Amino acid sequence: MGLLDRLSGLLGLKKKEVHVLCLGLDNSGKTTIINKLKPSNAQSQDVVPTIGFSIEKFRSSSLSFTVFDMSGQGRYRNLWEHYYKEGQAIIFVIDSSDRLRMVVAKEELDTLLNHPDIKHRRIPILFFANKMDLRDAVTSVKVSQLLCLENIKDKPWHICASDAIKGEGLQEGVDWLQDQIQAVKT
Amino acid sequence: MLKKFDKKDEESGGGSNPFQHLEKSAVLQEARVFNETPISPRKCAHILTKILYLINQGEHLGTTEATEAFFAMTKLFQSNDPTLRRMCYLTIKEMSCIAEDVIIVTSSLTKDMTGKEDNYRGPAVRALCQITDSTMLQAIERYMKQAIVDKVPSVSSSALVSSLHLLKCSFDVVKRWVNEAQEAASSDNIMVQYHALGLLYHVRRNDRLAVNKMISKFTRHGLKSPFAYCLMIRVASKQLEEDGSRDSPLFDFIESCLRNKHEMVVYEAASAIVNLPGCSAKELAPAVSVLQLFCSSPKAALRYAAVRTLNKVAMKHPSAVTACNLDLENLVTDSNRSIATLAITTLLKTGSESSIDRLMKQISSFMSEISDEFKVVVVQAISALCQKYPRKHAVLMNFLFSMLREEGGFEYKRAIVDCIISIIEENSESKETGLSHLCEFIEDCEFTVLATRILHLLGQEGPKTNNPSKYIRFIYNRVVLEHEEVRAGAVSALAKFGAQNEEMLPSILVLLKRCVMDDDNEVRDRATFYLNVLEQKQKALNAGYILNGLTVSIPGLERALQQYTLEPSEKPFDLKSVPLATTPMAEQRTEGTPVVAVKQPEKVAATRQEIFQEQLAAVPEFRGLGPLFKSSPEPVALTESETEYVIRCTKHTFTDHIVFQFDCTNTLNDQTLENVTVQMEPTEAYEVLCYVPARSLPYNQPGTCYTLVALPKEDPIAVACTFSCMMKFTVKDCDPTTGEADDEGYEDEYVLEDLEVTVADHIQKVMKLNFEAAWDEVGDEFEKEETFTLSTIKTLEEAVGNIVKFLGMHPCERSDKVPDNKNTHTLLLAGVFRGGYDILVRSRLLLLDTVTMQVTARSSEELPVDIILASVG
Ligand SMILES: Nc1nc2c(ncn2[C@@H]2O[C@H](COP(=O)(O)OP(=O)(O)O)[C@@H](O)[C@H]2O)c(=O)[nH]1
Ligand SMILES: [Mg+2]
Repeated sequence: MGLLDRLSGLLGLKKKEVHVLCLGLDNSGKTTIINKLKPSNAQSQDVVPTIGFSIEKFRSSSLSFTVFDMSGQGRYRNLWEHYYKEGQAIIFVIDSSDRLRMVVAKEELDTLLNHPDIKHRRIPILFFANKMDLRDAVTSVKVSQLLCLENIKDKPWHICASDAIKGEGLQEGVDWLQDQIQAVKT
Repeated sequence: MLKKFDKKDEESGGGSNPFQHLEKSAVLQEARVFNETPISPRKCAHILTKILYLINQGEHLGTTEATEAFFAMTKLFQSNDPTLRRMCYLTIKEMSCIAEDVIIVTSSLTKDMTGKEDNYRGPAVRALCQITDSTMLQAIERYMKQAIVDKVPSVSSSALVSSLHLLKCSFDVVKRWVNEAQEAASSDNIMVQYHALGLLYHVRRNDRLAVNKMISKFTRHGLKSPFAYCLMIRVASKQLEEDGSRDSPLFDFIESCLRNKHEMVVYEAASAIVNLPGCSAKELAPAVSVLQLFCSSPKAALRYAAVRTLNKVAMKHPSAVTACNLDLENLVTDSNRSIATLAITTLLKTGSESSIDRLMKQISSFMSEISDEFKVVVVQAISALCQKYPRKHAVLMNFLFSMLREEGGFEYKRAIVDCIISIIEENSESKETGLSHLCEFIEDCEFTVLATRILHLLGQEGPKTNNPSKYIRFIYNRVVLEHEEVRAGAVSALAKFGAQNEEMLPSILVLLKRCVMDDDNEVRDRATFYLNVLEQKQKALNAGYILNGLTVSIPGLERALQQYTLEPSEKPFDLKSVPLATTPMAEQRTEGTPVVAVKQPEKVAATRQEIFQEQLAAVPEFRGLGPLFKSSPEPVALTESETEYVIRCTKHTFTDHIVFQFDCTNTLNDQTLENVTVQMEPTEAYEVLCYVPARSLPYNQPGTCYTLVALPKEDPIAVACTFSCMMKFTVKDCDPTTGEADDEGYEDEYVLEDLEVTVADHIQKVMKLNFEAAWDEVGDEFEKEETFTLSTIKTLEEAVGNIVKFLGMHPCERSDKVPDNKNTHTLLLAGVFRGGYDILVRSRLLLLDTVTMQVTARSSEELPVDIILASVG
């Protein structure tokens, strides 16, 4: 990879870098999703609960993503805001089978949307209604109702149902994100 | 490492240090760059360097600004630049205690420590352990175990050393990693093996048996690492020292290391053997011959190590060291001056009286070339010599005086002054010369501490000499020429002359009158005070206020006065309510130790009683006991070592009560004790008033309970008493791994050793610089005298030692030192009896076949005198 990096650099073909925040409650599947998006030789075998955050990189057809995969556990959520300013896009992951905590997810989302560093920016938000493979998972339509996503008027957003373990639904989401980011540029 | 700056650098404008004029706020402002993308690794690494520099210079970072910088720094983990990443690890470690929420980098660090980049892994482990507290440790335990057995040595070593640090606050978790540490201990890498053994030892250090097993196991199989051998030698010699026995496989192990193929190990073994207390000549011999061999090694480091070790044990094992005299003589001319100095001073310590002159001459030839540190070694040797050959003090004093006149730092000068003072104290015929040389020294002395110390000595010793008036000029010069601290010292010294010498009094009064106009408050106050006292011309006043100073603890006095101002009362302030100062350790010098080596832990002793006072004041049951008079100097063990429970008792004496403090530790991991008390049964008329229990004693967590007793009122003389003690408690069985206890418990008891209360518990040592004046001041209203025969005692030294220890009073005027070849001696003791009454004892001893002792006791009250005499008889 080193050589390719340098070669493409030389040719001025370096991909545009984007800074993405991956947020959502703990156990929703953030780390699993990001892991799946990485090239297969860089994926780690077992996913463990994140403590704090971890920086991961992956590429789409025309962009190079740097993702801040944040820990979703209660005691770390108030630390997310340290990273808002630099974020150019947000991936917000919801465990569609965790109905009980759907209100908590909504609360965290609302706090995020009202944060001064986010509120007035047209920052694209990609929602993954994850774990759709589970039997008691609700549909992505239902998730977007529960989170009142239709109220988000000033930011482009999109929701995809996903199964991070098999990798289903992820590509659709990333393609949407790529389009959004390039749309901003042009 | 940063070079230390000397004056020259400062003067030339400090061009050599690019960080010299850093501003904290500017640097933190720059740190905002960390938030920008793309990251410039060079620029960011440079800013991190500046932050680290500031922190290491002691710059204070507030929590908010530190946290902000820390979070900005976390974003640098995006970059894969190796230098920048290493700087991040360092910053994380340095800021781990300054910034908040530093655990935010946990996952980033675990990723690095398990990643592919070996250069990141070790440092990531160390940074991770630094930010992890005991609550988070479980989360990374798995990684730590893997890292300990990692095949990359730097990773394994990092994990082992970090575990050692974690042991301090998370013993129980780290303890679970011994299997991994065990595996690492058989590593082929010398550092890994060393670090693994270090960890294993520290996990087991409280378990003597396990340590012994560990040593025998690893040494039987042999170790790869010389460092590991050195560690095992140190551990073994520590065990041996505690056992007090030499007849053990541990000693054989150390001995066998003398034949190891690594010089480092051989040296360590030799050094361990010669430092073991109570080694026989036979046991020493092989170790000494190794050191002797090293003395002629071509390697300077080995010669240095050998001669330094010989130097240290020269006083303890003179004959063993003399065996190396020839080799040491060869080193006298060694081109390395440090080696030469050590060789000469060793020879001085062990050599014969006749060689002193020659060696002193030799050493003076290069005294100017060696550093202060080694000059202090020379002074120490001289100090030891003076004790050994009192007749040589003239030669040695001259040498000391010439050293005193030369350039030198504070430590060096202090060593010389200490040595001269001790010579003066030991040899009365050297007093006059000594004092006049010290007078000359303070004429041009840049060290305030030494000047005031010498002035104090002049005030104390000068008036007793044949020609006291000759010192006045030197002292008064200080009043004219020096800054305020020294001037104040000089005023006090003058007053002492006036208080002891009537002829000089008029001229002293004239001098003091001049000082009354001084610019400085303290100097003026002292002069005014002394002037007024001296003008009364009363011996008792002179004794109480000039010759013998305050005996109370100064912080205690401050607190008592503050309390008095907060709660104003009609009654005048009572000085007796103030706790006494613990006597300065420097006064209790033991024979044989060179003066300069004595540390002065006065501060520690003073604060210990203060801590007790505070703790006791917090217990409601002890309200109204009045001020704490005395806490026994060392806790007594009431259990044997290695029993189920460890109980140690400290006695706190109040005016009419004693509080017994029991510090308890429960060493059974399957029990929690609750409601623990120590029941006490006195032999005399003491009355137990109440028990303050320790609520709960979980495994290995020390707790405290108290017993309060009232002193006998009916028969106040019977203060010496034996208490039988029994610990009572409720036992709750618990799970050793989780510490969870059963709900139900049962009552149990445990018999402890008896506890003694002696006269010494009722008396606090105080120092009277001028015993005679104090004796006159107390007067003979309550004087009593009795004569006893000490039938079991054969020498005066032994008698003196026993009396001092028994009464717990302070020997004054160096009367605890019995001159050679005398058969009479007078021991002078001073103390304060509980309640604040001065008590003085003069004990005349006569040695015929046995020792006869005439005891005279004086006090301002009758009771203390009666108690003293009752306790002796
Ligand atoms: N069945 C199922 N399990 C998932 C899916 N995504 C993640 N998980 C599991 O959910 C758990 C939490 O995932 P993780 O990525 O650590 O969640 P994070 O806390 O949001 O980072 C893991 O055990 C994953 O294997 C999914 O789409 N389907
Ligand atoms: Mg995660």
